[in-house]
Amino acid sequence: MAAKSYDNPELNKKLADQRYHISQSNPQFTKDVIKTSRTIANMCYQCGTCTGSCPSAPRSTYRIRLFMRRNVLGLENEALTDPDLWLCTTCYSCTDRCPRDIAPTDVIMAMRNLAFKKDIVPRNFLQTVQLIYNSGHGVPNNDVNRAARKRLGLTADPPTTHMYPEYIKGIQKILDHFGLKENADRIIKGE
Amino acid sequence: MHEYAFFLGCIAPNRYPGCEASSIKTSEKVGIKLLPLEGASCCPAPGAFGSIDLTVWYAMAARNLVLAEQMKKDIALICNGCYKSIWEVNHILKHNDELRSQVNEVLKEIDMEYKGTIDVFHLAELYYDPKICGIQKIRDSVTTPMTGAKVACHYGCHLMKPQKDRHFGDTENPMWFEELVAAVGAEPVQYRNKMQCCGAGGGVRGYDIVHALDITNEKLINISEVGADAITELCPFCQLQFDRGQIEIKEKFGDVYNIPVLHFNELLGLAQGMSPQDLALDLHAVDCTPFLQKVL
Amino acid sequence: MAENTEAKIGVFVCHCGTNIAGSLDVKAVAEYAKTLPNVAFAADYQYMCSTPGQNMIKEAIAEHKLTGIVVAACSPRLHEPTFRIATKEGGVNMFRFEMANIREQNSWVHMHGMHDEATAKAKDQVRMAVAKAKYLEDLVPKSVPVEKAAMVVGGGVGGIQASLDLASAGIKTYLVEKAESIGGRMSQLDKTFPTLDCSQCILAPKMVDAGRHPNIELLSLHEVENVEGYIGNFDVTLRKKARGVMTPVEAAAKGIVGGGCNGCGDCTAVCPVVKPNAFEFGMAPRKAIYINHPQVVPLIYTVDFNACVKCGLCVEACGTKKAIDLDMVDEFRTVKVGTVILATGYDYIPIEEKKEWGYKRHENVIHSLEFERLICASGPTGGHLVRPSDGATPKSVGFVLCAGSRDNTGGVAKAYCSRFCCMYSLKHAHQIMEKIEGCTAYIFYMDIRSFGKAYEEFYYRIQNEGCKFIRGRVANILEDPETKNLHVFAEDTLLGRPADFELDLVVLAAAIQPIEGANPLRKKFGVSASADGWMLEAHPKLNPCGTTTAGVFLAGVCQGPKDIPDTVAQAEGAASAASIPIHVGQVELEPYFAQCMDELCAGCGMCVNLCPYSALALTEKNGRTVMQVTEAKCKGCGTCGGFCPGGAIKMQHFTTPQIVAQIDAYLMGGQ
Repeated sequence: MAAKSYDNPELNKKLADQRYHISQSNPQFTKDVIKTSRTIANMCYQCGTCTGSCPSAPRSTYRIRLFMRRNVLGLENEALTDPDLWLCTTCYSCTDRCPRDIAPTDVIMAMRNLAFKKDIVPRNFLQTVQLIYNSGHGVPNNDVNRAARKRLGLTADPPTTHMYPEYIKGIQKILDHFGLKENADRIIKGE
Repeated sequence: MHEYAFFLGCIAPNRYPGCEASSIKTSEKVGIKLLPLEGASCCPAPGAFGSIDLTVWYAMAARNLVLAEQMKKDIALICNGCYKSIWEVNHILKHNDELRSQVNEVLKEIDMEYKGTIDVFHLAELYYDPKICGIQKIRDSVTTPMTGAKVACHYGCHLMKPQKDRHFGDTENPMWFEELVAAVGAEPVQYRNKMQCCGAGGGVRGYDIVHALDITNEKLINISEVGADAITELCPFCQLQFDRGQIEIKEKFGDVYNIPVLHFNELLGLAQGMSPQDLALDLHAVDCTPFLQKVL
Repeated sequence: MAENTEAKIGVFVCHCGTNIAGSLDVKAVAEYAKTLPNVAFAADYQYMCSTPGQNMIKEAIAEHKLTGIVVAACSPRLHEPTFRIATKEGGVNMFRFEMANIREQNSWVHMHGMHDEATAKAKDQVRMAVAKAKYLEDLVPKSVPVEKAAMVVGGGVGGIQASLDLASAGIKTYLVEKAESIGGRMSQLDKTFPTLDCSQCILAPKMVDAGRHPNIELLSLHEVENVEGYIGNFDVTLRKKARGVMTPVEAAAKGIVGGGCNGCGDCTAVCPVVKPNAFEFGMAPRKAIYINHPQVVPLIYTVDFNACVKCGLCVEACGTKKAIDLDMVDEFRTVKVGTVILATGYDYIPIEEKKEWGYKRHENVIHSLEFERLICASGPTGGHLVRPSDGATPKSVGFVLCAGSRDNTGGVAKAYCSRFCCMYSLKHAHQIMEKIEGCTAYIFYMDIRSFGKAYEEFYYRIQNEGCKFIRGRVANILEDPETKNLHVFAEDTLLGRPADFELDLVVLAAAIQPIEGANPLRKKFGVSASADGWMLEAHPKLNPCGTTTAGVFLAGVCQGPKDIPDTVAQAEGAASAASIPIHVGQVELEPYFAQCMDELCAGCGMCVNLCPYSALALTEKNGRTVMQVTEAKCKGCGTCGGFCPGGAIKMQHFTTPQIVAQIDAYLMGGQ
């Protein structure tokens, strides 16, 4: 069936075909999710135990069951561009209760990984990468805290990369191996 | 003395140093020596970092594990998020040869090799384990029992969940944390939906702060309902969410609770006679004074 | 036993449609067979099991004077009998037939892209079969008489029906029940779906019939202790557990005239001990001397020796009937039967282990059998459904389907569908809406499986009566500490919204599993279990009542989840199957017996102790001590033959030369 094309763009939008077409599915997406998540993500039977367990669901439109469905059908674009993808707190309640022995949480994590490959990622996630690249810590030390540490008889900086910055080089090498910092910088810059 | 490499993480040393100080001191009183793990980094944060690229998460956590392998010490840590990264990556790499060789290929660039020779523990499980410490030893170490204080236990998520492969058992209604709290003389109180998440994890605190705080608020409602004098937890990130979160909730939603939030090690520190100053409780966002007046 | 150089073997390679021919080159296999020594004829054919296929065998025997037949086709479990008969009808002894399984053991496991390798393997298999066929000998099946009696283990509705059928067919039947009385799970139910018949009303007549049928010996409080023998001649030792109370017959045997239990209940009235009633799942009290319900068969009281304080008040109350013997001990007896039916039923999984639903933690979460007792007029509340926490009448009740069924998480959970929970939960919904004005039923489901006769119509009816169907599996249940109301969390997947239902009572439709003693029992009869834990039928479609032990049959849920109609149907099928050998009067045993070659036997007797079937003994023959096989007892397992230091034991149809020929044929690649 030929695609609809009315002269009026508003009508085109309002009357756009809402049906699911097989052509929207990307079977490779399902395979990639299974590989990255290391869980049997294709085995979902849509019982809703996950959403029923989810602390994010009652206060948002996030439905983990919907993401599981998108995975089964290979609806890559729909899954990766949905901002709800980033509302999972990774509490793993769904994973503990899933009767199919799937880890839906890990499916979400895998989808986030795949989204990142398409430069879809909220800024705060990238900032964590930058902080770790520079200091080794996602939440680095500060002066108020240094003073408090000394008061407690601790060293001003903890015996981590903060006290031993020579270790930061190794961390940077690991991150550079994957081009992670570069990607984070590029995506932030491009915004 | 049982010796462990003490993996600090970020939030304990860099935001709540009292957690770090109390862990070192309280553990020593029950026969556990925590040694500095020099050069350790962020675990890295399982939600924020793992969401971007799990393969890098494996490699970064493995680097921290190798530091402890080189010390020939098992790791003890005090943060559920760190537990997720460090324990879980250790577990995965021990059982998955393919990932292990991938990780070692990266580590080779910095002259490291993951061997899988150590184990990882949360300090709380060592406290609970009678082979290492046990409830009785905790009880015996108490000099200032937290008598009269109603304390709500927040287990958090990443220590016990997913239940499979971990060894903590029931994640629907566990009671072992309550046993620890009772051992310091406080009264652990049961509240609605106690296993619910604090709301901060998975990068949600950074991504959508009001969403995260709304989850926190639900927990605070449930906790305040039973008249808890304090919340205790096993995770500095949960601590941050409950502690600073109460200020944020007041700002954004107008709800006020003023329930002090203490890491279990801080609570144990108080019970073993450490002063509030020794614990830098003044760095906590929620004023701990009313609680301290009740128990000290 | 020299190689039969005169052997003329016919080889027939089956296509099995595309089952075999789709994955390997059957024609090349047949052509290859022609090149093998002693092969006088080889061909391939679409379906060897068809009549034309069987005729090919018979014609080839006549034309080529064949002495042995090899068919390369499917598993011998399917068509060995077919081809043996064809061989026999062609005029050759049927044990000169050998099968090469090139389907289950070849084409089906090498389906994708292994055509050449599969063909090569099929050639190996045919070469080995031909090698063995050269050494096959004429054998004659052994015929043994069949005891004209049967045993049914388990006195639920399945066991009762099977016993009634067998008994009515003129067969003496021992109905063995481990509990105090028969009736099983069905006697605990209130009503039955979809007809809403009162369960006891339809079951009681059958229980009464079973109790008084002249051909049925009802053995309640009995358990199978030991089994020996084989089809036609099973010697089953039973443990008669100490009941503490004598039947009139038992009393008469002890010379107590007019004595024995008459079911008057005077004993219960005086018994000072009160314990939880197991029949009512602990929801009612029970004395230490008791019957489970008013309609029990047999109507004999039972002493709970774990609870009894032996005060003797009941003995006094019983008076001259002298029915009560508080010093009674277990007794044993052995009965001989020709065939056996196992009908041991089911239990619930320990649903409290699925922690998220809070059974045993939340007072108002109950399981479906507890619901049956609470809604039943003869139950602990006289049929008034109440909340365990406060005795209040619930106004909203949730039914949690698939509570541990269709669950792949391991532990207590079961991967299978328990098959009757959907229907009984619909019935439960109907019952509360009928009995309690304004009470709403919520059924939490993933799929409603209403597949039986008049079941879908029942589903329609219950929906029309106002039951709310929530399409979502229950994630967890929390209890309000004050009201003890329950918060049921689930997603209404059809709305796509998470939901929090505050309900008065929740009923878990828990998954079912075999009863605790099922495994040791089935092992005594040599019956296997399938991967899901239920007893394994001989064939899931074509022999659903039989087992791999000849003469042992299955009825009801012990073979897999079933509702009452299916259980009764299978029970009648099992009774029919179990009566056949008895009516025929004799059975033929496969002649795979061990044979002692007396001249080689040193009479050491080591094999006698090794035999798991007690089939061997030492005997004097011509002034020498040699071993002798009781052929009917021998199962042909080969333990003795493999061990015998003198090589004096020959395993018929699996002789050393036959096996060695096969191994040689494989290793030497036909050289």
